[in-house]
Amino acid sequence: MAPDSGPFPEGPLLKLLPLEAKDLGTQRCRLGPAALRALGAHLGSAVRISLPDGGSCLCTAWPRRDGADGFVQLDALCCSPGAAVRAPGLRGTLRLNQLRLVPCPPLRRLTVWPVLREPDSAPGTPSPAAVLEAAQELLRNRPVSRGLVVAAPPGAPGPVAALHVIGGAPDPEPAGLVTPRTSISLGREPPAEAEPRPPVPLGGLSEAADSLRELLRLPLLYPRALAALGLAVPRGVLLSGPPGVGKTQLVRAVAGEAGAELLAVSAPALQGSRPGETEENVRRVFQRARELARRGPALLFLDELDALCPRRGGAHRAPESRAVAQVLTLLDGVDGDRDVVVVAATNRPDALDPALRRPGRLDREVVIGTPTLKQRKAILQVITAKMPICSQVDLDLLADMTVGYVGADLSALCREAAMHALLHSEKNQDNPVIDQTDFLEAFKKIQPSSFRSAIGLMDIKPLDWDQIGGLEDVKLKLKQSIEWPLKYPQEFVRMGLTQPKGLLLYGPPGCAKTTLVRALATSCHCSFVSVSGADLFSPFVGDSEKVLSQVFQQARAHTPAIVFLDEIDSILGSRSVGKTECDVHERVLSVLLNELDGVGLRSTERRGNKSEQQDFQEVLNRSVMIVAATNRPDVLDDALLRPGRIDKIIYIPPPDEKGRLSILKVCTKNMPLESDVSLADLAAETCFFSGADLTNLCKEAALLALQEDGLDTATVKQEHFLKSLKTVKPSLSHKDLTLYENLFQKQDFADLEDI
Amino acid sequence: MTQEPSLLAVQEALKKCFPVVKEQQGFWQSTLNDCQPLLTSLRNLAEQLQATQNLRFEEVPALRAFPDLKERLKRKQLSAGDTILDKLLERLADLLKVRDTVSSQVEQVLQIYKQHADTIGIDAVLQASAVSPSVADMLEWLQDIERHYRHSYLKRKYLLSSIHWGDLASIQALPRAWDRVLEDEHQDRVQDTLLSVSFFLEE
Repeated sequence: MAPDSGPFPEGPLLKLLPLEAKDLGTQRCRLGPAALRALGAHLGSAVRISLPDGGSCLCTAWPRRDGADGFVQLDALCCSPGAAVRAPGLRGTLRLNQLRLVPCPPLRRLTVWPVLREPDSAPGTPSPAAVLEAAQELLRNRPVSRGLVVAAPPGAPGPVAALHVIGGAPDPEPAGLVTPRTSISLGREPPAEAEPRPPVPLGGLSEAADSLRELLRLPLLYPRALAALGLAVPRGVLLSGPPGVGKTQLVRAVAGEAGAELLAVSAPALQGSRPGETEENVRRVFQRARELARRGPALLFLDELDALCPRRGGAHRAPESRAVAQVLTLLDGVDGDRDVVVVAATNRPDALDPALRRPGRLDREVVIGTPTLKQRKAILQVITAKMPICSQVDLDLLADMTVGYVGADLSALCREAAMHALLHSEKNQDNPVIDQTDFLEAFKKIQPSSFRSAIGLMDIKPLDWDQIGGLEDVKLKLKQSIEWPLKYPQEFVRMGLTQPKGLLLYGPPGCAKTTLVRALATSCHCSFVSVSGADLFSPFVGDSEKVLSQVFQQARAHTPAIVFLDEIDSILGSRSVGKTECDVHERVLSVLLNELDGVGLRSTERRGNKSEQQDFQEVLNRSVMIVAATNRPDVLDDALLRPGRIDKIIYIPPPDEKGRLSILKVCTKNMPLESDVSLADLAAETCFFSGADLTNLCKEAALLALQEDGLDTATVKQEHFLKSLKTVKPSLSHKDLTLYENLFQKQDFADLEDI
Repeated sequence: MTQEPSLLAVQEALKKCFPVVKEQQGFWQSTLNDCQPLLTSLRNLAEQLQATQNLRFEEVPALRAFPDLKERLKRKQLSAGDTILDKLLERLADLLKVRDTVSSQVEQVLQIYKQHADTIGIDAVLQASAVSPSVADMLEWLQDIERHYRHSYLKRKYLLSSIHWGDLASIQALPRAWDRVLEDEHQDRVQDTLLSVSFFLEE
């Protein structure tokens, strides 16, 4: 019976197997003969087992029927409070030293605190005598230990669901046996919660969490003060925000933290097919919540409330209206005061019936927006706290990159990174470490969920500034007005600069306006939304305006963002020129003017903490910038071109000789040129050629080479260029250019003369 | 078989215990059989009560002659029902007696084992032979049997205590619920165990 001195100092590993059905409710722990010998256990000796997840349980030792060693099966009928819930899914391994033989003297007295079963049909508490008898039956011939909970085996009759063992004589620590002669009494006080549950970390939702917590805790902490004030505590909250920001998670976390019972119901699940079934389900849920509330703080969570309570009115909507009315009356608490805290969540608060959104029903509304930079970092910190990440991972950079990602997206990102680390690293399969490259790989795969249904979000072929020939000063101006505010916010704040709202690029066609914007989108890490007439215009009145407004709404959710309006003259009309009637172009224009410089934001679009002082980075990261491009700046509305809306108007000139040379260099980079080709000469000869013309010229020359020298030719010669130069005509003319160049100056002079 | 004195003592105790269990099992079974007709008559009575409730006496000419017939009938039926219930409770007390006897027997055996546990050792306890199961198995079976009696007694007791005359439908469903208790528990466990130890007892 001497303990085995095996090869393992902590004792051999025992594999934890699920329990056989026969042993359910027996509190047995099945061990192999070697383990029994090592423990020095007899049949039925009490064994205290430390479970892998921190709890412990008390069992009686019995041999396995097949006599096999290295396995353990246990019926965790009597275990520490938290472990009872997890017991059925116990898996893993135990070391033999986690099992401990404990003396188990018979008890004279025992005090327990019963947890009663919820009454199935008739409510009403069973008499103490009946509870005592049930407790006696449940505990008979069982070893128990102070602080542990004895759960009633499944299928056992009686009013008792579980018994907390409080104390007894002799003290059941580490264990004591209940015999038929033990006198059992019920404790007066419920056992103190062993330890307050650790708060579930929530990244960046502290404001919303606080207001929820307050609702749950106020009535518990200051019941008398509230009664003295004669106040009804607010008992309803509406959480709104885009999908995936963590509304449900927040409610779960707060409920868990406050120790409140959470009854989570998804509103669509309440819908019934028969008339009246929905209302019945709603009533049942509220009834259940009330039962829970009678026993302690309770929280009823209605997810996706918009499915249950749409706006009433309209034909053929009588059934829905009935359901809405039922919810309203239940929220008001027709029969007495409502003592349940109701939290509803929706991502379409506007679709809710307005009657819901008043004090007394859903008192407060908490808007949870798409997380800001700081919130994203907090979320990432929470998610990665439990992951084995490499110390070089730069969460700041990640938070910076993940514009428009909500909590769900970020956790998907981290999961993907973990998967990548697992699958692609051969270095250490057993304990993989996630490093920066894994995150970057995952970043390529995971798109923010709000992008999936967005309008005008583009996949842009990345383009470097160097790939655009010439236009050095234009590039500099663009960088100044867009890249700098994003990259050097401190400097901007120091100089008292505000960020420009908009930018107009104008110039003759084919001079790389769109290409410049592409390079811009590549170089600054922000969301890029491109809107064209095809996205905007629709046969329905008012639709175009709505789409444009939605584009801006999305862009604001994903700040920093650039909205690119190509060929803006075709999208917007001008109020100043020509016609008087109000057509769709003008309405779109007015929407755009409002979005650029409106009074404020809609309250549903709120993001971040409004109370906190925001640091400059957040402020600067908040804005949406529009970039418009046109080759007919003269037809644009004056109101659009004033500072504050479109601050900067940049003329993109056709390339000069130096510019043409660099464009030609870029165009012929992938072309095999004969040594006699002189790009400088070509550049000198191609006056009035735009960038597009030059590209075309190169293409023509190459085609000509193929045509003249046969398909197997290897190089393009100067003569091909010269020949094609004769056919390709420049698209610009002197007249056009003077028009563009004088456009804005002329007006200024005209204005001056007026004054 | 090991001829160790302490092991022998435990085996002796087991040999004494199993016949008692066998005898008690017979008693238990016969008591349960006695309950069956009582339950059936209880159900019939509930049906009668239901019928009495549904009948409108004032509309039957032949019955108008008897004043407060309805109340009298009801009282009669209820008192009959109480008699049956009393008998059932007596049977239940018999079941309790069986349970207690088995419990005390099993407890004695376990007590004896516990006294000798240190000297016997785990290997001897696990040893089984062609004619006799291992001591560990037999002790385990005894525990199971004891738990079985306790459990099924408790279930029946809760079933009977849940009856009240306001809820006639549940009384009518009583025989079926009773049968279900029978089906739920492993009826043959005691019988099986007794069969597996028969050679050991004859030894």
